[in-house]
Order: sequence, then C-alpha cells, then structure tokens
Amino acid sequence: MALRHKLFQILHPILTNRCTYSIRHFCYKASPFVEDLDKLNTKYEVSKDPEEWKYVERALPLTIIPEPVAKETYPSGWKPQTNEVKNRPYFIERTKNHMIPVYLDISQRGVRRHTLIKRIQGDINLFEKELVKFLQKESFQPIRSQVNEFAGYIRINGDFVNATKYFLEKKNL
Amino acid sequence: MSNTTEKALSLLRYLPRVCLANIRDNPGAKKKSRRGRAQHGGDYHGAGNKGSNQRQNFMRIGYETGNNPFYLRFPHEPYYKGHHLKRQYPPLSLLDLQKLIDTNRIDTSRPIDLVTILNTGLYKLFPDQHHFGVQLTDEGADIFAAKINLEVQWASEQVIAAVEKAGGVITTAYYDPHSLQAMVNTKSFFERGIPIPRRMMPPPDAIEYYSNPGNRGYLSDPEKISEERLVLAQKYGYTLPKLDSRILEMLNETKDPRQIFYGLHPGWVVNLKDKVILKPLEEELKEFYAL
Repeated sequence: MALRHKLFQILHPILTNRCTYSIRHFCYKASPFVEDLDKLNTKYEVSKDPEEWKYVERALPLTIIPEPVAKETYPSGWKPQTNEVKNRPYFIERTKNHMIPVYLDISQRGVRRHTLIKRIQGDINLFEKELVKFLQKESFQPIRSQVNEFAGYIRINGDFVNATKYFLEKKNL
Repeated sequence: MSNTTEKALSLLRYLPRVCLANIRDNPGAKKKSRRGRAQHGGDYHGAGNKGSNQRQNFMRIGYETGNNPFYLRFPHEPYYKGHHLKRQYPPLSLLDLQKLIDTNRIDTSRPIDLVTILNTGLYKLFPDQHHFGVQLTDEGADIFAAKINLEVQWASEQVIAAVEKAGGVITTAYYDPHSLQAMVNTKSFFERGIPIPRRMMPPPDAIEYYSNPGNRGYLSDPEKISEERLVLAQKYGYTLPKLDSRILEMLNETKDPRQIFYGLHPGWVVNLKDKVILKPLEEELKEFYAL
C-alpha cells in the first residue's frame, strides 16, 4: 500500500501536467498513510514483562472449547457423557458444547412442534423403539416418529425434548 | 382441385364433427395489437387514469382531512416513551452461569467479569443496540454453589444473596459503550493497535445505583458493603460464610473504576504480534489516561 502511495506521489505531478487530473479529497486513498508521515515523536516505553502479559492472555478468549473436568457434583444438573461407550447398541454423541443434541423444531407459525434427536450412531431403530415405548406412557395419542438412518436423526411429532433428555441421561448417554 | 384441398376434404369425411374446438383462424386473419410493456400489458396497474389516484399523492397515515384524527382523539399515558434510549442489560441467569462453570467454560480460580462471560462465546452483547452489560437474573438461585469473585452490570437483591450465600463476592460495575466495544472482542480490539480506553464514570441517572452498597456498587464504600453483606444475610436468613482463606487473594482482587481489563492500565497499547505492551511516557498522555 505504501509503495502504491509513493508511486502515486511520483506520478501525480507528471499526470497533472499532461491531462486534467485531480486528487479526490473525498476518497480515503487521497490521504497519506501513517508510515509515510514523519517519524512519531510520541515517547513510549516497551514492556516485555511476562507478569503483565499474563493479564493480556487472561483477557483473550480461548481458541478451543475446553474439555469439561470431572467434578464431584454438578449443581446445574448438567452431566458429562459417560466414558463407557463400548458394548452399547446405540450411542448419541454430544455437541461441541458438550450438550445433548435434542432440539425442539417449531414451524408453521408455531403450530407444528417436532422433537429432533441428532447425532445417533449404531442401531437407530432399536433406539427409536425404546424411546417411543418410554414416551408413549406420557402421551394419550400414539406417537408418530420418523427415523432417518442415513443422516442419523429421529423426528418425533410433539414436544418431548425434556422427556427425551431425561431418557438419555438415565441411560448415561 | 389442388392437392391440399383434396386432403382437407378427405380429412373432413373422417372427422366426426367440425366445431369451434377443432377449427382455427386462417393464418394472418388476426392482427396483433401493440405489445404493451410491463406486467399487465402496460396498463395503469390498478391506479386508474388522472387525479390523485394516478399520482398516488396519498394523505399521511392517520390524517382524516381536517377531522380530529382517531389517534389523537383520546388522551393516553406514554408508557414506552423513550424506550429506545434506555440502557438495556441482556439477562444471564444464575443457572446459566452455574452451567458455564460446570462445563468448564469459566475458570472460577480467577475473578469473573464481563470479559470472561463474553469470551465463552455463549453470551452476546451489542453495545450499538444500547446494551450496557450483563444482568444476572435469579433463575437457579437455589442451586447456585460456586465461590466466585463476580462482577456484573445489574443484579437483584436475590441474586446478590445467592452469590454471597455460596461464599462468593459480587460487584455491580458500569462500563461506557466505548469500553464495552473493547470488551466484546478483545482479540480484534488489541489487533487494532489503539490504546485501551479510560473507563468513563456512569451517567448521572446511574450514579446512584453504582454508589449504593446495597447494590454492591463499585463506587460505594467497601466498609459499608461488608456491613450490607451481614444485613442481607439476616434478611434472607442464612449465615454468611467466611471467605475461603485459600482463595482470599482472588476474592479480594478488584479493578480500578477507570480500568477495563484486570491488570491493564488505560492508555497502554497491546501488541499481540511481538507480545509486548507499549506504555505512553508523555506527561499529557499520562494525565489523560490517569486512574
């Protein structure tokens, strides 16, 4: 950028002599760059103190989402995913934020409510069978559900988000 | 007779009937009119011909040609007058905060301020939309159990009680929009290479809130705050836990009312590339950025 500006400064008088060429003062490109100005005379001190830099690092955000640490109790009710995932017919992976991937999908101007369970691995049909059996106790009407084996999600008609989360937490998933 | 006519007549013999459905005009019998431009063949689009309808010179909304208009006919109380100018404090519940702590998104071994909450990426703040910081709400006050040094911008009495009952410390502090803009995305702020701004004092209508020890305001007397802690404990009926001696240093860590980031003085320029801090030496600048 600085080079281009210098080029502009050199070429400008030549161009102005030849043809009618004007500086566009309204354009930001017309103003000089900071590096082209005279040397800064403001006195300043450069500090490389690691103790001070610690405070800078404290203010900066983490670049990755931290892994949850094992604690005795979790007062908020959130539970980490169990490590015993072997010998299970199905498995539901947590999201990047370590939450259960169960969502409420509201559409048709708030009329249609679907429960969406994502990230299902393994025997999705068995999971659907067990889940519907569990949810059926709370529902008067037969539960309608749709299994998408390829994408690994289940769509259930109605709002069963909390019940599904409870079911999964009970299964330690 | 020509071959074509013969063909046509022979076809006629086999056709069950000649009717309007199976005859058509002779070619060139109909002359097409001009092709009008635009959607409906270049007509007036429902606006008609001549007058105020064609010119679309409508009256302003609510105007009733000289009558006392309906919207002015009855007296009213302007409940929401000036709502667009008021300071907004987007909420974060104690349950949310506890969940952030449980999922290791917030480090409790350090004081928690707005920068910490914003750095989780799970709480959004828009200073240009008159957002002035976080409001801690009382949802989950019963389960809250974290010994933290917390700084928020607005907190109710119940929230203060919940934090102090758990053995923590809470402060309410004001940040002006320029400071907030620096806090929203600290990395991009440091990359801009501009000095850390000096935090402004709260506006006249907020001074009272932030200098009230009952609200744990950052401008109030610390001795009066410790008095108020006892008063609140008696009001809500819990014994005020003694501050944990192992984390006492963290619990006592405070920011200057002119400071935005812990440990960083206003006027400093942070260079992330070379990992150095530039500090002004000019007397004028020192005075401008004084704490």
